[in-house]
Amino acid sequence: MGFVDYVQAIIDGLLFGTTYSLIGIGFTLVFGVMQKINMSYAAGSLAGAYCGLVGPQLMGLPPWSVFPLSIAASGVIGYLIYLTCFRFIPLASPLATLMSTVGMLLLLDEIIVHSTAGMPQNYPAIYDGDPIEIGDFMLRADLVGVFLVCVVAMAVLLALLYRTRLGMATRAVAQQPVAAQLCGMRLQAVNGLTFVIAGLLGGVAGAMIGASVGMLSPLIAGPITVKGLIVTVIGGLGSIPGAIVAGLMVGAAENLFQALRNVTERDIYVMLLLFVFLVVRPGGLFSGRGHD
Amino acid sequence: MLEVRGLSKHFGGVRAVDGIDFSIRPGEVFGLIGPNGSGKSTTVNLVCGLYQPTAGEILFEGKDIAPVPTHRRLSLGLARTFQNIRLFANLTVWENLWMAENAPSHRAETRFLKRWIGGRSDARERITKALEFSGLAHRADDLAGSLAFGEQRRLELARALAAKPRLLLLDEPAAGMNAEEIAQLDERIRALQQQGYTILLIEHHMELVMAVTDRVCVLNFGRKIAEGTPAEVQADPAVREAYLGTAQ
Amino acid sequence: MDFYYSLAQIIGFHTLLGLSAYIVLQTGQVSLAQAGFFAIGAYVAGMLTVLAGWHLVPAMLVAGLGAALMACLVGFPALRVRGLMLVIATLAFGEAVRLFFFNFDYQIAKGEVKIGPLGGEGFRQIRWFPENGWTSLEVMLFVWTVVALVAGALWWNDRSRFGAVLRAVGEDEVAAQSVGINLTAVKVTAMTIGGFIAGLGGAIYAHYTTHIEHLNFNVLLATFAIAYPILGGLRSVFGTIVAAIFVQGFLVEGLRFLGDWRNLLFGALIVLAMNLRPHGLIDAATARRLARLFSREQWRGEQRRA
Repeated sequence: MGFVDYVQAIIDGLLFGTTYSLIGIGFTLVFGVMQKINMSYAAGSLAGAYCGLVGPQLMGLPPWSVFPLSIAASGVIGYLIYLTCFRFIPLASPLATLMSTVGMLLLLDEIIVHSTAGMPQNYPAIYDGDPIEIGDFMLRADLVGVFLVCVVAMAVLLALLYRTRLGMATRAVAQQPVAAQLCGMRLQAVNGLTFVIAGLLGGVAGAMIGASVGMLSPLIAGPITVKGLIVTVIGGLGSIPGAIVAGLMVGAAENLFQALRNVTERDIYVMLLLFVFLVVRPGGLFSGRGHD
Repeated sequence: MLEVRGLSKHFGGVRAVDGIDFSIRPGEVFGLIGPNGSGKSTTVNLVCGLYQPTAGEILFEGKDIAPVPTHRRLSLGLARTFQNIRLFANLTVWENLWMAENAPSHRAETRFLKRWIGGRSDARERITKALEFSGLAHRADDLAGSLAFGEQRRLELARALAAKPRLLLLDEPAAGMNAEEIAQLDERIRALQQQGYTILLIEHHMELVMAVTDRVCVLNFGRKIAEGTPAEVQADPAVREAYLGTAQ
Repeated sequence: MDFYYSLAQIIGFHTLLGLSAYIVLQTGQVSLAQAGFFAIGAYVAGMLTVLAGWHLVPAMLVAGLGAALMACLVGFPALRVRGLMLVIATLAFGEAVRLFFFNFDYQIAKGEVKIGPLGGEGFRQIRWFPENGWTSLEVMLFVWTVVALVAGALWWNDRSRFGAVLRAVGEDEVAAQSVGINLTAVKVTAMTIGGFIAGLGGAIYAHYTTHIEHLNFNVLLATFAIAYPILGGLRSVFGTIVAAIFVQGFLVEGLRFLGDWRNLLFGALIVLAMNLRPHGLIDAATARRLARLFSREQWRGEQRRA
C-alpha cells in the first residue's frame, strides 16, 4: 500500500461519504425543528429503499423505477414515524421519544427481516460505466453517480429551505416555535412536513447506499444509524452545512482507516475519533456554543 | 461582606455586565434593581459562580471567590434562590431540604460516610424545624412539583436557609406574587435581617425594594448608574431617566 | 423445569444490566455504554475462570471492578457532554468496546486445544458451572442471590441521602450545584457503580451462555439496558426488575409461540408503551401512590389531614 492507494481510498470515501451527509442532514433537520433525535431515521430510509424493490421485483416495472419508488416510500415512512413516535408524546419527555424511536428502529428492522426472510436483496447500480481515470487515480463510475445524485438532493433541499415559503416556515419553527405559532404557522403540520422532507432525503440516501453496495441487507441498518448520528454530532446538531462536511469527513476517514488497518478494525477508530471529538468539541464543527 | 470590583461579563459582543462595583455590609439588605436586561440576573449568576466573569473580582469576606467552583460557594456561606423557581420537582419537599445539608455547619457533625448512609433520622430534627418555620410541615412527603406557586417559593427559600448561609441572594422573589403575598414576603425579609442574615435582593417590584432595603444599587445596560439609600436613589435623575425613558 | 431455571437466569443478568443503567439514569445521564461494560465483565470473568483457573466469585468481582474502572474513565470525559450528545458519545464508546473484542485474540494452549477469545469467532468453552458440577437450579439461585444483593443495595441507596442526591442532579443540575452538590463527583460515581453492576451481569452472562462473541454486545443490548429502567420508571428498582421480567419473560419467551411475529410485536409494544405512558410504566406519581399504599404511617397522616 503506497501513498497513491491512501489517496485513492480517501477519494472513494469522499464520494460515498455524500450518503452519510444525507443521513446526517435528515437527523439534523428533525433535531432542528423538534430538538429530538429520531433513532429510527436510518432504518426508515433503508426500509424505503427496500420498498422501492417492490416495483421491479413484484410489479414488473423497469429497474430504474426503484429509485423514485424508494424515495417516495421513504417519505411516507417518515410521516408514519412522526405519527407513531412523536405526534402524541409530550415534548417535555425526551426519554420517551428516544425509546419510542428505538422501538420503531427494531420494528422496521424486523419487518425487513420478516419480509425478505433475512436474505440480502440485489440493488441496481445508478450508473454502470467504465471508471474515470485521472492520472494515477480513478473514480468509480457508480460512486460518481451516487455522488452526483446526493449533491443534487442537497441542492434541492437547500433551495427548498431557503427559497420557498415552506422552507421559511420550517426554519421559523426551528428558531422560535412559539413565535412561529403566533404568526399562524401550524406547528404539527410543519413538524410532520419536516419528517416527510427528511424521509425523502433518506430515501435518496438509502437508494444510493443500495446502489453503491450493490445490495441491501438488514445488517446495514445498525452501522448506518451509528454513522449517521456520528455525522450529525460532528457537524453540530442542527447544522446542515456541518452535516455535509462531516459526512464527507467520516466517509473519507473510514476508508482511510480501512486502507491503513483492515475492515474489521476500521470502525473502532471511527468510534474513538467521535468520542474524542465530542469531548474536545461538544458543540460540533460549526457551533460556537458547547453542550446540548 | 461581599465586594464586587470592576465586574464584567461579555457574551460575544454583548456586554451584559460592564464594570460594576458595589459592596454589601454585614447585616444589611442590599437591593439590586434596574430595568429588564440591565444585567441584574447576570450579576447574581456571577456571584454564585454559574458564570465566570470576563473581568473584575468578587470578594466574599475579603477572599477572592473566582476560582471557587459553584458547588463550593454554598459552604462558604453563599446561598441563593432562583427567579424561575428551581426545585427538584420529583423529589419530596422533605428531600429538597435534605439536599441543602451539604452545608459547612453540618459537615463537622456528620462525617462523610454518615452523610451518605446516615439516613433520615440524622437530619430529621433540623429539617422538621425548617419546614415548620416555612409553614410546609404538612406537605413534607408530597412531591415538590405538586406544591402551589407560593408554597414552592417558600420551599425554595427554606432550602437556601437550610444551608445556614451568611449571605442570601434572592433573585426576584416577588415575581408572580399578589399584593398580599408580597406583604408577607416583606415581613419575612425583615425577619431574616433581624436574625442576622445579610441579603442581596434583586427585584423588579419597586415598592418592596423601597420598603425593605437599606441601600440600593441601580443598573442600566450593564452599568451602575446610581447607588444610595432608597430615598436618594428615587430622587436621582439618571434613575428616573432609565425607568421613564426621558428625564422630566 | 430446566427451561424455567434457564429463563430465570436470563432474566437475572438482564436485570443486572437494567440496574446498571438505572443508577446512571437517575443522574439524568442516558448511557448506551452499558453493553460495553457488560462485555468487559463477560470477557474478563471468562478469561479469569477459563485461562487463569480462578473461582467464579473472585473472577466476578474482578470483572466488576474492571468494568467499573473503565466506566470511571469514561465518566470524566462524558461529563462535558449532556443530553443527546451523551447518548451518542456513549453509543460510540460501547461500539468501540464491541469492535475491540471483535479484533481481540488471546489464546493459550491447554492440552490439545487452544482456548481463549479469538476475534470474530468469539470465546468458547466458558464452562465453569458444568465443570464444577452446578445444577441449573443452583446456578439460578446463585444468579438471583447476586441480583437480590445488587437490587437490595440500590433499593437502600434510593432511601439514603446519596440516592436523593443522584435524583436531584437528574432533576436540575444548576439547582443541585447551588445547594452544594458536586456534579462531577456524583455523576462519575454513578457511572462507576453502574459499570460495576454491568460487569457483574456480564460475568454471569458469560458463564450462563458458555460462548460469547462481540455480536452479543451490540446496540440492541445497550438499548435493552436503558429500556428496562425507562419502561419501569425511574422511581424504584422494582420497576426495572418488573420490566426485565416483562420483556425477557413475557415478550421474548412467553410469546415464542408467535414465531417470527414476536419480534415485530416487541418493537411495536415499545412504541405503544411510550405513547401511552411517556414517563414509564411506574412514574413518579404512581410510585408515590404505591408508597402510600404500603406505608401505614403515611396513611394515618392522610387521615389526620382529611
